[in-house]
Parts: sequence; C-alpha cells; structure tokens
Amino acid sequence: MIHIQDKKSMLGQGILIFIYLAVLTGLEFFVAISFNSVPLLVVVALVKAALVLYYYMHVHKLNAESPDEDEDSYDYKTGTNRLGLWLFLISDSFVFAGLMVVRINLLGLTRPHLDQTLGLLVTAVLLVSSFFMNRGETLMHGGDRKGFLTNTMITFGLGLAFLIGVVFVEWPNAISEGVTPSSGAQGAAFFMMTGMHAFHVLTGLIFLLVVLVNGRRGVYDQQNYPVEAVAVYWHFIDVVWIFFYPALYLIGALT
Amino acid sequence: MRHFIIVGILVIVISILTYIGLAAIGLMPLAASAQAGPIDWLWNLEVMTISFLFALIVVPMAYSLVVFRRKQGDTTDAEHIEGNTNLEITWTIVPLFIVMVFAYLGAGNLAEIRRVDPQAMVVNVTGLQWAWTFEYPAYGVVANELHVPEGQQVLLQMTSNDVLHSFWVPEFRVKQDLVPGRLTELRFTPTVPGSYKVRCAEICGTSHAYMEAPVIVSAQADFDAWMIDQVALAEEAAATPEGRGRALVAANGCVACHSVNGAAGIGPTWFGLFGRQERLTDGSVITADDAYIHESIKAPQAKIVAGFENQLMPAYKFTDEQITDIVSYIKTLK
Amino acid sequence: MRNKYPVGSGLLLLLLGGAIGYGIGLGIDMLISGTLNYSGSVASAFALLLAVSSFFFGVFGYRGITRGLVWQVLGTLIGGFFVTGIRALMGLDLFGSFFFTEPAWVFGAFSGVISFLFGVGVVSDWMKWARGIDTPEHHEDVPTWEKYLGVSLDHKVIGIQYTVTALVLISVGGLFALIFRTELAASQLQFLTTTFKLFNQNGPQIYNSLMSLHGMIMIVSILLGISGIMNYVIPLLLGAHDMAFPRMNAFAFWIAVPATVLLLMSLVLGGFDTGWTGYPPLSARAPVGVQMFFLGVISAGWSSILGSLNIIATIVRMRAKGMNAMRMPIFMWASIATSIIALTATQLIGLSFQLVMFQRLFGMGFFDPAKGGNPVLFQHLFWFYSHPAVYVFVLPGLGIISELLPVFVRKPLFGYRWVAMSSLGIALVGFLVWAHHMFTSGMNEYLRVPFMYSTLLVAVPTGVKFFSWVATLWGGKITTPTPMLFVLGAIVVFLLGGLTGPPNATVSTDLHLHDTYFIVGHFHDTIFGGFVFPFFAALYYWFPKATGRRMNEFWGKVHFWLMTPSFFVLTFGMMRVGLLGMRRRIVDYDPALGFDLSHLVMTIAGYLIGISVLIFIINLVHSMKNGEKAEGNVWNSRSPEWQVPSPMPAHNYAVPFEVVGEPYDYGLPGSKYVQFIDAPEHVAHPEIAGHSEMKTHQSWGQEQNDTHTR
Ligand code: HEA
Ligand code: HEA
Ligand code: CUA
Ligand SMILES: [Cu+2]
Repeated sequence: MIHIQDKKSMLGQGILIFIYLAVLTGLEFFVAISFNSVPLLVVVALVKAALVLYYYMHVHKLNAESPDEDEDSYDYKTGTNRLGLWLFLISDSFVFAGLMVVRINLLGLTRPHLDQTLGLLVTAVLLVSSFFMNRGETLMHGGDRKGFLTNTMITFGLGLAFLIGVVFVEWPNAISEGVTPSSGAQGAAFFMMTGMHAFHVLTGLIFLLVVLVNGRRGVYDQQNYPVEAVAVYWHFIDVVWIFFYPALYLIGALT
Repeated sequence: MRHFIIVGILVIVISILTYIGLAAIGLMPLAASAQAGPIDWLWNLEVMTISFLFALIVVPMAYSLVVFRRKQGDTTDAEHIEGNTNLEITWTIVPLFIVMVFAYLGAGNLAEIRRVDPQAMVVNVTGLQWAWTFEYPAYGVVANELHVPEGQQVLLQMTSNDVLHSFWVPEFRVKQDLVPGRLTELRFTPTVPGSYKVRCAEICGTSHAYMEAPVIVSAQADFDAWMIDQVALAEEAAATPEGRGRALVAANGCVACHSVNGAAGIGPTWFGLFGRQERLTDGSVITADDAYIHESIKAPQAKIVAGFENQLMPAYKFTDEQITDIVSYIKTLK
Repeated sequence: MRNKYPVGSGLLLLLLGGAIGYGIGLGIDMLISGTLNYSGSVASAFALLLAVSSFFFGVFGYRGITRGLVWQVLGTLIGGFFVTGIRALMGLDLFGSFFFTEPAWVFGAFSGVISFLFGVGVVSDWMKWARGIDTPEHHEDVPTWEKYLGVSLDHKVIGIQYTVTALVLISVGGLFALIFRTELAASQLQFLTTTFKLFNQNGPQIYNSLMSLHGMIMIVSILLGISGIMNYVIPLLLGAHDMAFPRMNAFAFWIAVPATVLLLMSLVLGGFDTGWTGYPPLSARAPVGVQMFFLGVISAGWSSILGSLNIIATIVRMRAKGMNAMRMPIFMWASIATSIIALTATQLIGLSFQLVMFQRLFGMGFFDPAKGGNPVLFQHLFWFYSHPAVYVFVLPGLGIISELLPVFVRKPLFGYRWVAMSSLGIALVGFLVWAHHMFTSGMNEYLRVPFMYSTLLVAVPTGVKFFSWVATLWGGKITTPTPMLFVLGAIVVFLLGGLTGPPNATVSTDLHLHDTYFIVGHFHDTIFGGFVFPFFAALYYWFPKATGRRMNEFWGKVHFWLMTPSFFVLTFGMMRVGLLGMRRRIVDYDPALGFDLSHLVMTIAGYLIGISVLIFIINLVHSMKNGEKAEGNVWNSRSPEWQVPSPMPAHNYAVPFEVVGEPYDYGLPGSKYVQFIDAPEHVAHPEIAGHSEMKTHQSWGQEQNDTHTR
C-alpha cells in the first residue's frame, strides 16, 4: 500500500472508501433479505472492517517511526499515544467480542423482531458520520481549522442522531414488538449489545465535543494528535457496529 | 562429571523413595466402583511421574546449594556459561512427549470410564437447596436415599430445581454437576456393597456443606427387597392424606430446612407448628393455621418468621389438595 | 496543617468515627425496620465507612485519600437517594432489608467510585486538558511519607502505594482465612453456628462470605502486588524517567482503592455465598452484597487493564539506548507476557459479572434457564479470564525468580532467550485452556479432550523455566541472603503446585479431584510459589533501592524458616484430605471422615504463616527508619538501578545510560551491562533545570479518550 500524503488526494481517498463501504452495506442488506448466507455476511463485515481500519483509522501509522528519536519530542510521544490508544481499543474490543459470543451462544441462527428500515437507517447514519470524521481529520492535518470544525460538527450531529435513533426510537419500538430486556435471551442480548455500543457512542460524543471546543480555541493548530485520537476512537465505534448490525438485524431467521 | 553421577543416583533414589512413601500412605479412598479402577491407575501413574519430576528438579537444586556454595572470602564470579542449545531442546521435547503421552492415556481412560451399558438402571436425580431426591422410573418410587444393586451399571439422569449442584461419591470417584434447565448424565457401576454418601460438590448456598444423602450399595436380592417395601409404603402412604403429605415432603426435600423434631434449621421447625404463635419480621404475631401455611408454601416471602429474614425459600407449585395433604402431615407432628 | 502524632490521632478517630457511624446506622435501621439490630448491616456499613475515612482524616487531614473516601461515602449516599427518589416517583418500595434497595445500592456504589476518583483528584489533570489547559508533570520531590497518601505521578511512589495496599489486602484476606480456618479446625460448627448472627448472616453464611472474599481479596492483592513491583522496577530497568502515561498510572492505582472498599462493603451488606467464582444461578439469588462484590471486581479489573496497557507502552517505547529485545532484563519479558493477558482477558470477567448484575437488576435472562439463558455460558466467559489470570499472578513472580537468581549465583541466566520465549508461550497457550475448570460442568462433552491436550501443553514452557533455573544454579557460587532464600523457596513451592496441575488436567482424574481440597492445595502452592514467595523476595531485594536501608537479615530468615515449613504442612494437608473426599467451600465436614486432626494441624499451620507475615510487616516498618544504611550496590548486581546510589532520586537517572552488553554476563571479565552516557557517574546528580517542563504536554488525546470510556 502506498500512503498518499497530499491533502487533496487524501480527501479523494476518503470519498472512495466511503463509496465502497456504502456499496458493501447495501450488498449486505440485499444478501440478508434475499438468501440469508451467514458466511457471506461475515466476509462482507470483515471487508468493511478492514477498509475502515486501514484507511480511516490508518493502523499503519503505528509503525511510522517518528523522525527524531528524542523521547521528549511531541512526535515521539504521539507515537507512544498511538500505541496506547490502540492497546486500549484492543482491550475494549474483547468486551464486544464477549457480547458477540453471548449472542451466538444464546440466539444461534435466530434473530429478534426488529424494524429493518430503522436498522439500515441508523447504520447508514453512523457510516456517514465516519466519513465526515475522516474528512475533518484530514483537513485538520492539512491545517484547515474551519473545515475541520464544520465536518466534526456534522459528525457530532450524526452521532447524536444515531444515539437517539437507537435509544429513543429503536428501543421503544422493540419493546412494543415484545422484545424487552426481561422478555428472554433475545431481548437480553439485543439490549445488552446495543446498550454497550450506545454507551461507547455517548463517550465518543463527549470526546468529540471536547475536541470541538478546544479546536475552536485553536489548541490543535500545531500539535493535533487529539484530533487523530478522537477520529480513531470514533471509527472504532463504527467498526463495532459493522459487526453488531448484521449480528442483530441480518443473520439468522426470525422466531 | 562426578557431580552428575552422584546427582543422577540421588534423583533415582529420591524419586523411588518419594513414590513408595506416597503409595504407602494410601492417597485415595476405598475404590467402590468399576470406574475407580482406571482412574486410580492413571492417578498412580501420575504420582510416579510427579515423584520423579520433583526429584529431578529439587535434588540438583539441593545438591548445588551444598556443593556450589560460595567459599569463604571468595569474591570472584562463577564460570560464565550462557546456555546449551542441545540441552534446551531436550528439556523442551521430552516434557512435550511426556504430556502428550498423558493426554493420550487420559483420553483412553475417559472413554473407558464412560463405557455405556445398555442395561443400565436409570435413576432420575433432582438436586435442590439442600436435598437430593431419587426417582426410580422403573418402579415409580421416590426416595431421599439412593439404593443401587451391586455390579450393575447405574445411569443417573440429573437436573436441578434451583442452582448448580454436583453429584459426588468419593468412593465412586466420578463427579457430575446438576444444572437447572438441562439434563446431565452420570454412569457408574458400584462394585463393593456398603453404605456411602453422595456429597454435593458445587457450592449451592448456606447449607451446601450438609447437602448429603445416603447411598446404599447392596446385593441384588436385598435391593429388590428394599424396592418392594418402598413400593408398598408408597401405596399405603397414598391412602391417607398425611401419608401423601409425608411422601410429598420427602420428594421435595422440605425436611432439609424444616426439621420435624423441633431441632433448629434453615427454616422454622414443623414440630408443633400447627396452631403455634409465630412472630413475624414486621413484629406482628400470627397463628399458624391452614391459611397461613398454605400461603407460606405458595408465597414464602409474604410472611417471614422473625429470625429467618434472609433464608430465601423457593416458591413451590403444589396443588391445593397437595398442600392440604402436607398440612395434615404437619398436624401429626407434635 | 502538620500533625505530630498521625497514627495515634488516626486510630483515635477510627474508633470515634466507627462509633458515630454505628450510631447513625442503628438509628436509620431503627427508623425503617422498627427493630434494633445490633449486628445488622446498615449500622455496620456506616461504621465501616466512617471509621475508615476518619482514620485517614486523623492521619492526614482532609486531603488526598481522605477526601476521596469522604467523597465516596457522599457519592454513595447521593446516588442511593437519587435512585430511591426515582423509585418514589414510580411508586416502588423505597427501602430494603439493607436500607437502600438493590438498584439504589448498585447505582450508589457506582457513583461512589466515580466520586472517589474526583475527590482524590486523580482526574483533575484530564479535566483541565478537556478545557484546553496544559498541565505540567509535577514530580514533587518532597521527602515525606505524605506524598504516598495523595495523588502522585511518580512511578516509584505509585509502585510503593500499590505494594503497601497489596500487603494490607493480604493481611485482611489472610485474617479472613484465619477466621474460617478456625471454624474448620474441628468438625461440627463451633462459633459460626446457625444461631450466630452478624451483618444479617448466620454462621454458615458468614463462612461462605469470608471464604469467597478471602479468595477475591487475595486475588486483588496479587494484582496490586505485581503492579507494585512492575511499576517500581520497570522504568528503572529501562532507564526511563517514568511510565509512558503517568496520569493513567496514578488513575490505575487509585481506582483500586474504592474497589477495595466495595469488596469489604459486600461482606457487610449481607455477604454472598458463591465463592470467588460467583457462578449463577446462585449469584443471581445471593444477597445484595454480591453486587458490591461485582462492582469491586470490575473496578479492580480496570486498574489492572490500564496498568498493563501502561506497562506494554512503556516497555515498547521507553527503553534505553541499545536495549534491544534480547538485551532486556528477563523481568521485562515476564511483564510483557503478563500485561498482554491482563489487558485483554480482564474485560471478560468484567463482562461476565456485569451480565449477572444486569440479570439481577433488569431481569435480563442471560444465565436464567427459565428465560432461555445458559448457566454454563457464564462459566466460559468467566474462565476465559480467570484461567489466563492465574498466569498473570505467576508470570511476574517467575520473572523475579529469573531476575534474581543470576545475581546470587554469580552466573548468567541459563538459556536467556528460551526463558524469555517461555513466558510468551505460557501466556499464549494460557488463552486456550480455560475449560479445564469445567470438566464436570455439563458443557459439551467433545470439548473435554481437546482442552485436556491444550492444558497439558502449558507444562512444557513452564518446565523450560524450571530446568533453566536448575542449570543456572549448577556450578555457580551461591550465597543465600533472605531474597535468595525466598527465590529458592518459590521454586520448590511452585514446582509442587505446578506438578499437581496435570492430574487436574487429565479429565478422568479431575472427575475425582474437581472441587476438592486437592484443588485448593494445588492453587495455594502455585499462588504462593508463583506470587507470594517471589513477592517477598522482591521486597527484600529492592527495599534498599527504595529506602537506602536494608531490612533486618535475621528476622528475614526467621520469616522464611517459619513460613515455608508451615506452608508445606498446610498444603500437603489440603491435598491429603482433598483426595480422601474433603469438598471445597464447606463450613463443616462429616466427622465420620475423620479429618479433624488434619484440619487442626492445617489451622495451626495457617496461624504460623500468619505470624510469619506479621513478623515481615513489623520488620518492614521497623527497617524503614532503623535498618542499616545501604546506599550502594547492595547485592553487587549488574542491572542499572544499582549503579546509582539509593534511595533513587525523584527523576531516576539524571544521566541517561546506554546498554553495552548482555544483562546477566556474570563471570565474563570486563563485561558491562550499562554505560552511563557522559562519564560513568556513581554519585547523585543535581536536578537538570527545567527537566519537568520538558515532559509537559503528555499524550493527552489518548488519556483523554480513556477517561471517557471508563
Ligand atoms: C496461580 C497460578 C496457577 C498456576 C500457575 C496454575 C497452573 C496450572 N494449573 Fe491450576 N489452578 C489455579 C491456579 C493456578 N494453576 C487456581 C486458582 C485454580 C482453582 C480455581 C477455582 O476453582 O477456584 C486452579 C485449578 C486448576 C484446574 C481445575 C481443577 C478443577 O477445579 O477441577 C486445573 C485443571 O486442569 C488446573 C491445571 C493447571 C495446570 C496444568 C497448570 C500448569 O500451568 C502447571 C505447569 C507446571 C508444571 C507441570 C511443573 C513444572 C514443569 C516441569 C517440571 C516440566 C515437566 C512436567 C511435566 C512433563 C508434567 N488448575
Ligand atoms: C494470594 C492468594 C491466597 C493466599 C495468600 C491465601 C492464603 C491462605 N489461604 Fe486461601 N484461598 C485463595 C487464595 C489465597 N489464599 C483462593 C483464591 C481461594 C478460593 C476461594 C474460593 O473457593 O472461592 C482460597 C481458599 C482457601 C481455602 C478453602 C476454603 C473453602 O474452600 O472452604 C482455605 C482453607 O483452608 C484457605 C486457607 C488459606 C490460608 C490458611 C492461608 C494463609 O496463607 C493465610 C496466612 C495469613 C496471612 C497472610 C495474614 C497475615 C497477616 C496478619 C495476621 C496481620 C493482620 C494485621 C492486619 C490486618 C493489619 N484458602
Ligand atoms: Cu448442592 Cu452444594
Ligand atoms: Cu486454570
């Protein structure tokens, strides 16, 4: 892989990746409703995750050695922080993996009664938010603070929309369908997974807010690792949903 | 070189002594089931290996401590040896080999103790806090003791009413948990007549320690005899209400908590319960009449006798007739 | 405010606060239940909280930890009343048999933990950052004990804070053990009878609570203990001036303190009778205490997750010049291996307990068969952490053994590379063996044999360590000061523990051994050999580095020669009765089994261990002030921290060093491990001006991030 450096083509790349992701999501949905093939869905999810990990979360930066080796330089510390953040994400992903195991063990090849259109909608919203997050970050690295602020603002708005969609629309909706936390294994798994994810979205939003406020103050004009950090964290939340969405809405048969 | 020879001899001597010593103590309890045979055989093999490996490590250590002590006034360092590839490979490969052998033997051993006898006598076991009930489907008998004939394989089909329990008779070696909401199986073939105890091996709350029940292994004839009067008892019990009540109480292990002789227990004693004045947690006093006992069985938490605040009694789903029977049994306890 | 007699006034206020709290509690209890319940939970809970916080108030004034504890109490009450208020609006019942209702307690405890963190002030820097304010990395170099009772970013201070907390916890957990061992000394119930009442529990219930808490408190103490050693030692061995994320380091320690309080609260609030494993459905029915237990464990879990994150980052990023992977001190490898496990697997115990918590709170039927849940699933989640966790306990200990042996044998560690790799090997295989705790659990039959194979595999890398140690000892020039004694003891004890592992691993024998005292013996051996002994060794070894004084050699030897034999008696006794049919977790055993004598002996042995630990604690405290001075290279070691005078200055090495050789080349003439970059100095260096400014602007995005996901 070549890592394109200049801002313009970076933006272009962001758009391209977004299109891929959108198409794949559509494909996913189509596969699910037409011929529900679990292996295929898994593959699609993996591809999506890989795209986000590489292009939006740019894991490759981990082994980008910082130019000067002075342990107290900002660059070197940024390298350390990257590592720290990634370690944290690895740790965090074990929670979601655990929830996935719970879901597979308890629900197997069945899935709860949920509103498909709503599911697709929130998924789309989160995906788009990821796109704008990437855009904002790229602009910040290009030194364009205004662009960064507007795009991050949009990200925040979409994230909020997702949260509301899940917690204040989807949950009551599910409850009215008879899927409640105490109704049985299905309800338990559904609310636990979406709940845990929503909690992470919430923390992401808070973090976004912090970065927005400080960004407006111009804290990051030279040293903008925090922007990268919030972006990576936000994309991580997206990756989790890339797996949870099919797990909850698409895989298996209704009961 | 001399050192190696001495240590080698010592290792052998010590491991043999250790093994003999352990064997002499007699580590395992009486082996009273066909399954105990293979298990004890494997265990014995493991004891040998352990004795050897223990000596293999500890003897050279002790030897070095004696022989390679720093001499008085010597301030120099020891000889500079960084390692030895062949040696390191050896002590990776050899243990690997040993453990693989054990895994292989272990698998065979497991298969052996789980060998299925189609003629096995089936007993349905239910565990509950804190009692065992054994149902013999072939005879329609329910008891709180497990009676099994010598030399015939027994298939326990076990489940639990509340929490996890575990069926274990040390003399039979094998052990299996009881899981609510599913059926677990355990097979054993008693070989030595005698009376043993099943001891619940999975913590199940306050009286886990006391969740034991007699297990009697007897010759086929004695077993049949026992079974015959069990059937008879069951029939005559079925005739009278208090008899039915007593049977229900036995089948549901109530006596695990409620003594029938006035002794203190997890729950209030039933001795002289009927008509007794009970002081409740809210301070009020109530007479234990039919209505009260009915309620206490159906909704145990509704009225709690003072002093039994946090002993959660599970709610039982009896029909009213059954409860009436139980009450009439309780009436007989004075 | 300076206080002339900190301890005295502390103890005074301890009693005072306890009494007042007890009074308040009794009053409240009276109000809601209408009966005076002298041994009740509410009174005791208030007594406990006020006693602890007023103790520190007396010692220390209203700062640091005191403020934290007070805030925790307030946070708990506010949170509790908040939920109670909501319940009032919803028309639900307001108070339960433990004052608050269960949801109120859970939320209260949670907000209590958060309040503690704010109160103690460990998150204030992050709060500043969130507002865009930069914070300097103040390494306050005040030579006073007071810095240990407040937030400090210095890894040495934090390391000592960890270590002391661990010792306190071992004492408390050990005390619990001694209490229930006393009940076990003879069959039948002696003092924990069914009529005995304490904290709304009768004797057997108290036994179960104490036993379960003994397990978990000890495990937490291990986690803190290893963090203590790793925190103190790692940056010194790496030549770094601190950990990679000092603030997160402090956070990781301080969240363990409210966790401890919660664990103790669980005993008071009705306890829980599930054992440390907390299997549902039992844990789904236990008293509210089990919720405090869950929250405590989850908080402690976060401590170890963030701690290990920090350690990995530090070792990867902050090594001295020239210290490539194969020239790292062996302890680094052990720490990495440990941290990989702790970082990842720990989430699963948190999750498994959280699911039970939610099952209790919201009726979510994860493990409730009636609702299509699956009790065995919990065991899989739980052991996926808790087996690797046992290697978290021991790997640092084994690392310490490998680290200290060469020093006292004056000979290189035999086969360094392979020993280093074996740590990783153990860690990785350790992830694949968890179901060996579930051979009888009714899990899918076909899983048993593969898990037997994987479990036995662990023996191989572990064996590599043992053989290397023996080969290291062979032909050396051995001296046996106290640290070395404990190292040797550790090897033998851990060998016994390890060798009793494979019999549990082969399924058919485990069907007999499972949940007996044989297992209890097995893991006390492994834990003592893998943690307790090496921990003591490390303390005796690095004590001079921290204080500039030595611990008393004579009493050290007494400690060892008292502890080791009694310990063998204890665990051999356990295994003996276990094989003959002694189940675990029972308050009373069938007299017909004839175990009374063995149990009596075990109990006495337990007390002797207790006394030996007591001796250690006294020796430790006494030597801080009166130990003989030892400011040089006490053990004549090659490793960098001993090349500069003790005690270590606040900023570690004023002059950075470079690695120029192998770490353990004892006996290689003229070889050197480290070389100080400008002129090999052997005296303390004056602080480099502006040094602390150089380290400002620490890593904020990342830590910022972590705070929010807490
Ligand atoms: C603290 C650390 C620790 C360590 C290091 C170990 C190490 C091992 N443990 Fe242990 N274990 C526990 C702590 C530990 N354990 C605890 C706390 C429990 C109980 C949990 C509970 O239920 O409460 C437990 C329970 C437990 C069980 C479940 C028993 C049951 O409940 O039914 C099993 C089963 O396989 C097991 C196996 C092993 C094995 C195979 C090892 C191996 O890693 C040992 C490897 C070491 C050696 C084998 C010795 C040295 C090697 C050589 C000299 C080479 C040659 C050796 C051979 C060829 C064999 N352990
Ligand atoms: C670090 C781990 C650790 C340590 C050190 C110990 C130490 C001891 N343990 Fe324990 N133990 C466990 C971990 C540990 N244990 C675990 C995980 C369990 C399983 C729990 C479960 O089944 O769920 C267990 C279970 C367990 C049991 C089985 C209980 C049962 O199944 O019913 C027993 C029984 O004898 C026991 C005994 C002891 C004894 C006598 C000691 C002795 O070594 C204790 C010695 C005493 C001390 C170390 C304290 C000394 C200090 C003082 C006296 C000073 C006091 C001063 C102040 C308070 C300031 N332990
Ligand atoms: Cu039933 Cu323990
Ligand atoms: Cu294990």
